[in-house]
Amino acid sequence: MIPKIKNSKKRGTILMENVVFIILNLLFIMILVIFISKQGQGAILLEESYAKQIALLIDSAKPEMTIILNMENAKELSGKNEVSFSEVVRVDKENNLVIVKLSSDGGYSYGFFNDVDVSVYPDTKGLQNSGDADSYVIKINSYNDN
Amino acid sequence: MIIKNKKGGDKVLSLYWIIILILIAGGVFGMVYTFYKHPYDVREIENGILINKFSDCISYGGKINQNLLSGDNFNQTFEDFVSEECNLDFGSGEEYYVEANFYSENNLNLEVYSLSYGNSGLVASCNIQEDKEYGLESKCSDGEFFSLSESGNLYLVKVNSIIKKTEQNSK
Repeated sequence: MIPKIKNSKKRGTILMENVVFIILNLLFIMILVIFISKQGQGAILLEESYAKQIALLIDSAKPEMTIILNMENAKELSGKNEVSFSEVVRVDKENNLVIVKLSSDGGYSYGFFNDVDVSVYPDTKGLQNSGDADSYVIKINSYNDN
Repeated sequence: MIIKNKKGGDKVLSLYWIIILILIAGGVFGMVYTFYKHPYDVREIENGILINKFSDCISYGGKINQNLLSGDNFNQTFEDFVSEECNLDFGSGEEYYVEANFYSENNLNLEVYSLSYGNSGLVASCNIQEDKEYGLESKCSDGEFFSLSESGNLYLVKVNSIIKKTEQNSK
């Protein structure tokens, strides 16, 4: 005797509802994850973090030291914001300030107390002279003459 | 008469679920906002670097700088050229303060010499550092070490460092 199959259509509907429910939940979780990861990669946050890092590096450095700092994230963001990578980091020698700029209308500065003559420039020689640098060279030349 | 059916139950469940999702999203947004609205506070690291740099200047290799201490006499004018001697540039001079107090090994409670540079007005803020309301005003750190004079006398040197920079490090 062949058994009767009851409500086969309804079972399919229930399964479809579950699938839609799971997809919507996954979508919700994905949106949250993207939101959180985007928050940590904003220009303002990166500018602050790089400016403070570089200022602390200069403070703890001594003459004739050369520091190479990987700034891959900064390069990516400055490219998106149409800021040339060579203009991302600047040192104001008059006021002892490190200035990091990752967007055309932004910029963050942080002071250092080490009285040194410092040069900062993109590390173009680091990648076999390819000119496509994603690091910055921080060179401590000498102590300033007072 | 109240008619209960499965469809009604599902609708209540979805509404309940939407409210839960909104609550979770609100919570996550609130946490992220609270976390990122505060700047990175690097003053403690900065204080450590300043203490090391100042300590290296007044004593190197276990011996007190001869420009500061010749024989057992402290050079009272050393304070006037601390910035040149120690290669420190505090800019306007309002954000930093560093001091070193010297104690003889014979009496570790008696200060024999004191040397300072920067904004001495910041010292008062260290006393209220523990207070939650004023705790973020400025950061204070200290360190101490022993060092020898040229003539072989031992001194305890206590170094205190204070950094304000409130706007850039705490809100």
